[in-house]
Amino acid sequence: MVRGSIKLLKDAGSGLSKTLADILVCPLSKQPLRFCEQTNSLISDAIGVSFPIKDGIPSLVPTDGKTLEADETIKTEDSAESSDKHEADRIGSH
Amino acid sequence: MRGLYRRSSLWRTRREAPHSLFFFSNALCTDANIDGVQSSRIKVFDRHFRRKQLDRAAWLMRSKDSFVDTVAENLLDRLEDCKKTFPAALCLGGQLEAVRRLLRGRGAIEKLIMMSASSDMVELCRNAERELQTENIETSLMVGDEEFLPVKENSVDLVLSCLGLHWTNDLPGAMIQCRLALKPDGLFLAAILGGETLKELRIACTVAQMEREGGISPRISPLAQVRDAGNLLTRAGFTLPGVDVDEFVVRYPSALDLIEHLRAMGETNALLQRNTILKRETALATAAIYDSMFAAEDGTIPATFQVIYMTGWRDHPSQQRAKRRGSATVSFQDIQKQFGSED
Repeated sequence: MVRGSIKLLKDAGSGLSKTLADILVCPLSKQPLRFCEQTNSLISDAIGVSFPIKDGIPSLVPTDGKTLEADETIKTEDSAESSDKHEADRIGSH
Repeated sequence: MRGLYRRSSLWRTRREAPHSLFFFSNALCTDANIDGVQSSRIKVFDRHFRRKQLDRAAWLMRSKDSFVDTVAENLLDRLEDCKKTFPAALCLGGQLEAVRRLLRGRGAIEKLIMMSASSDMVELCRNAERELQTENIETSLMVGDEEFLPVKENSVDLVLSCLGLHWTNDLPGAMIQCRLALKPDGLFLAAILGGETLKELRIACTVAQMEREGGISPRISPLAQVRDAGNLLTRAGFTLPGVDVDEFVVRYPSALDLIEHLRAMGETNALLQRNTILKRETALATAAIYDSMFAAEDGTIPATFQVIYMTGWRDHPSQQRAKRRGSATVSFQDIQKQFGSED
């Protein structure tokens, strides 16, 4: 069991396999995700939400996302994006 | 399927409004998210509870479930009908482990991405993976929601879903997202449970609740009818849509065994408006009514499962298609003259 997870992490390199890193996008805005090594999470800058990675398995269910502090996010002007953010905020606050 | 009808009537009213027509089609094709947010007002299923159910199913799951295996086998069999290969595949929802176990190199899949809403289900797949070292498939796992598919556009050749999509609140929306995730000429292949499923249990529940509680509450979820499946594929924009139906009758020693099996599949009630209280008396009355109405001579009870298989392709210029309406140059009346002479 332990050996398996070590192997998986080694394969992943950054804690995430290359296949996944290539295809994953933010589930709400469909914008690219950024990998954050410090928190080991995937960050969607478009809506300011971070999604956790557990044992190399990213969790991209909107309700698992955590909204980031205001100064970390890029301000959104687009109405569609702000509605996304609103939606994420609403989900995140549950 | 009440939810779907209600939703479709909502869409129709929006379609009729002249200003929103362009915006509407735009939202449908390019940004499924806007669509998702708006239709999320109508919620039939409790997606959060559904995740818990899948977690529980992962703990209860039998190593080999003949019903699930048959459906997965049937679904994967369709890959052999295609000459095309599918190097990158995305497998969604429901019965992941059965699909992975029965794949056996079909469709020449090289990279398989498996997604489930439940982290325990994903964990189960990872453990099962170690027993399948013989195949050269690079498997990646993730936790995700079919209603909010976190997959880039034009990135996979195949989307597979085995018994999972019938739990989505916005089935057309989920299918549109699947289509967008596919590369051109990519295949969408899904098995969902249809409206005839568990009709015996539906009847037994209704009768028992009327008898014991003097009213009924929804115990079994609304499911898509066969005729809806074709419409769904077309509305989600798939080309060359195909729908076919299989009906299975599974026999159980008693109604309680049926419920046990449903739990192990993660297919028990996850309606948002479900009645969370089930009186013991009503439950036992349901089992008794089920037994008296449907039991066979040998004492077993039958349960019907209707499985709808949906096939659709993302459009590509190489695919055959009907010519534009009105582009014909020969009348149907003269068709004999045109083609008959060649014989």
